[in-house]
Amino acid sequence: MLRYIARRLIIAIPELLIISFLVFMIMEAAPGDFLDQYKLDPSMSKETLEAMKKELGLDQHPLVKYFKWLSGAIRGNFGYSFYYRRPVSKLIWERVAATLTLSLTSLAGSWILGVALGTFAALKKYSLGDKILTVFAFSFIAIPSFFLGLLLLYLAARTGWFPIGGMISIDHNTMTVWQRFKDLLWHMALPATALTLGSMAGLMRYMRGSLLDVLNEDYVTFARAKGMPERIVVFKHAMRNAINPMITFLGFSISGILGGALFIENIFAWPGMGRLIYQALIQKDLYLVITSGLMSAVLLVVGNLVADILLALVDPRVRLT
Amino acid sequence: MAQNNNQMDFQEKYLSRGQLIWRAFLKHRLGVGALVVLIVLYLMALFADFLSPYNPAEQSLRHTYSPPTKVYRTYKGQRVKAYVLPSLSYVDKITYERTYKEMLFPRRLVIEKPDGTRMTYELGKDGVESFKFSVNRVESIKVNGQWYDVKKSPAITDHFLFNYNEDVLNKGVSRFETTSAVAQEMFFKAYKDRFGLTSEYDIEAVAVTEALDSIVVRKDGKFEMIKGKVIDYDYKTYPIKWFVTSWTGKFLWLFPSKLHLFGVDNYDNNQFVKFYIMGADLFGRDVFSRIVFASRISLSIGLIGVFITIALALVFGGISGYYGGLVDEAFMRFAEIIMSIPGFYLMIMLRAVLPLDLPSTQIYLLIVFILSFIGWAGTSRVIRGLVLSIREREFVEAAVAIGLSNWKVLTRHVLPNTTTYLIVNATLRIPGYILGEAGLSFLGLGIREPQASWGLMLAQAQDVYVITKAPWLLIPGIFIFITVLAFNFVGDALRDALDPRSLG
Repeated sequence: MLRYIARRLIIAIPELLIISFLVFMIMEAAPGDFLDQYKLDPSMSKETLEAMKKELGLDQHPLVKYFKWLSGAIRGNFGYSFYYRRPVSKLIWERVAATLTLSLTSLAGSWILGVALGTFAALKKYSLGDKILTVFAFSFIAIPSFFLGLLLLYLAARTGWFPIGGMISIDHNTMTVWQRFKDLLWHMALPATALTLGSMAGLMRYMRGSLLDVLNEDYVTFARAKGMPERIVVFKHAMRNAINPMITFLGFSISGILGGALFIENIFAWPGMGRLIYQALIQKDLYLVITSGLMSAVLLVVGNLVADILLALVDPRVRLT
Repeated sequence: MAQNNNQMDFQEKYLSRGQLIWRAFLKHRLGVGALVVLIVLYLMALFADFLSPYNPAEQSLRHTYSPPTKVYRTYKGQRVKAYVLPSLSYVDKITYERTYKEMLFPRRLVIEKPDGTRMTYELGKDGVESFKFSVNRVESIKVNGQWYDVKKSPAITDHFLFNYNEDVLNKGVSRFETTSAVAQEMFFKAYKDRFGLTSEYDIEAVAVTEALDSIVVRKDGKFEMIKGKVIDYDYKTYPIKWFVTSWTGKFLWLFPSKLHLFGVDNYDNNQFVKFYIMGADLFGRDVFSRIVFASRISLSIGLIGVFITIALALVFGGISGYYGGLVDEAFMRFAEIIMSIPGFYLMIMLRAVLPLDLPSTQIYLLIVFILSFIGWAGTSRVIRGLVLSIREREFVEAAVAIGLSNWKVLTRHVLPNTTTYLIVNATLRIPGYILGEAGLSFLGLGIREPQASWGLMLAQAQDVYVITKAPWLLIPGIFIFITVLAFNFVGDALRDALDPRSLG
């Protein structure tokens, strides 16, 4: 098992290199650079711009820049953000916490609810509950996340039950720990709901289909024929097999954990990674873009690895070699 | 029952494959309903110019964030044909709030003069050309329970506002009182010295009183000033009609045509008269017309994008599946790299690094290109897999044995067998493209003003203040939702219909 993980991680290295190089080249191939926004400013003289260009290292050859960044990155220095004038790693680190709070909550919520409701729908096939859940799932698969976000924002603005944006109240610092926690939950309620509903719907349909497939298998019929209690048939025999394809899905979910909430973060002014990366892209903040691109790719690799390991743990037929 | 079975057997024997697929598709009621919805939506895009009552780019700053225009069916208690009233959206000078009011343009006046005689004036009759009203406007504040007049100003107007100062005509005097905080503060600033006020809460209320002074009637080119009381009046109404001629659109992009499905009959070119069935946006543009025109972009981008994606996927997937070897390795590794960059990020990245200020047509092409570039990888891998298995089948061996060239075998015998998969895949993929475009435009990276796309229209509604004032700006989202839902249902139904097991 450990050897397998080590091998997978080693294979991932050239992949990550290629991705970072590709992202770098796309950014370099694009017309204009970070200084474009200053060129329109009449108070900026040509000399200042030249000096800034030199200072930021934008006058170097792209390949030189890339390898400089790469050699730094290996040692844990991911370069400086042009806009914030601060180390990229620190910037990202500050935002990671906010994003993880939101995305892990919604990940857990959507998986628990998705799997539970999907199982329910499959067991009560064609019942009223199943039909309602089907309509529900199709609706939330079709609704764009930003529209759902706007609808919830409208709800918040009309009723005043929830804050309309941000992560904490102004007086957060004066609160006790328990109050802070409640404050955070209160601010998170709507963005987390929007994210959860969106991804839960797909998971639910997937779980339902997967479990229905398994329930038609001979071994389930056999287990029932033996007179096994239905509970054991479903949860011990059917569920364990139905969950297999879902685990691959989990890998994808993990890879989207940092960047998946861009729209929701924008709408609810959540100070997370999505907004940071988006702004960096628009401003052509080179090193911030590559580093976050690299992080997304790392998460994708890790997500797939986690999914494979979990699969091996759940399914004894799968052997990792 | 037996007869029914016979009929089924008959159909299975004698219907063509296409007919069988159609029969299986019709069994899916949801799918059929969704198909109808899609056809309606695409017809809407096709006949956009005919359907929209207004030019989608036409602004009317008097109608900023106008709500959907109210349609009346009664006039003074009597049932009449549907009509609308002129309307105005303005920032109130006292409360500083955006206010929307319907306007009262008098059409006929019955005036009692001080000497007791009654005169009737009606526009267009006896040479009467226009009415003007001279109104005395008095602003007053309430301090310590006592009202003080602070400002007097005469005004000339040709209209009144319903639920605001229509009483000027009814009773001769109208009064509007407010306790809004903004009004308190503004009047406090202006008059604190005069009244020796210490805080804005000293001003308990603010009122505006308007009294009718005189009426100026323009008759045969001459003005006649009348002092008197209005006994009775009628106001202008603007009927709603089918098939109205108004702005010049291009029917099917080609023929200039002024005919539109519905609209308001604006007989005296009153610029306050608008008929917004879904309200207006910040610039007073008709939301419905914009939705209709936006559907051209939002709906076509999916189709074109998927078409290009499939073309790319067929070329790359087909070649690497059929020839294998080094080409296969190269193509598939490339596809894997594209797939390993999170999709939406790749999309934003590609868009963000390409120039932002391009003409709309170029942006459109750019978006199509980006969406297809991201989308082809997954599909081409599946195509490759299909080609790999089809390659081993006997009919391909036969084709090779006849001596057909590789290219012919691939295009005539192998690739056509992936059609079933491609049709279903395309239908289920279109929503992704529509959402992709909407997302990009929502972020301001896609279609730009004054062109409209559903995502771009939603971007206007990002502001909390705007959503609460103008929730109708969320309607484009409903259209995205319906379109995506419909494509999903049709795709599901098609998948079942194209499944050989369902053909019977």
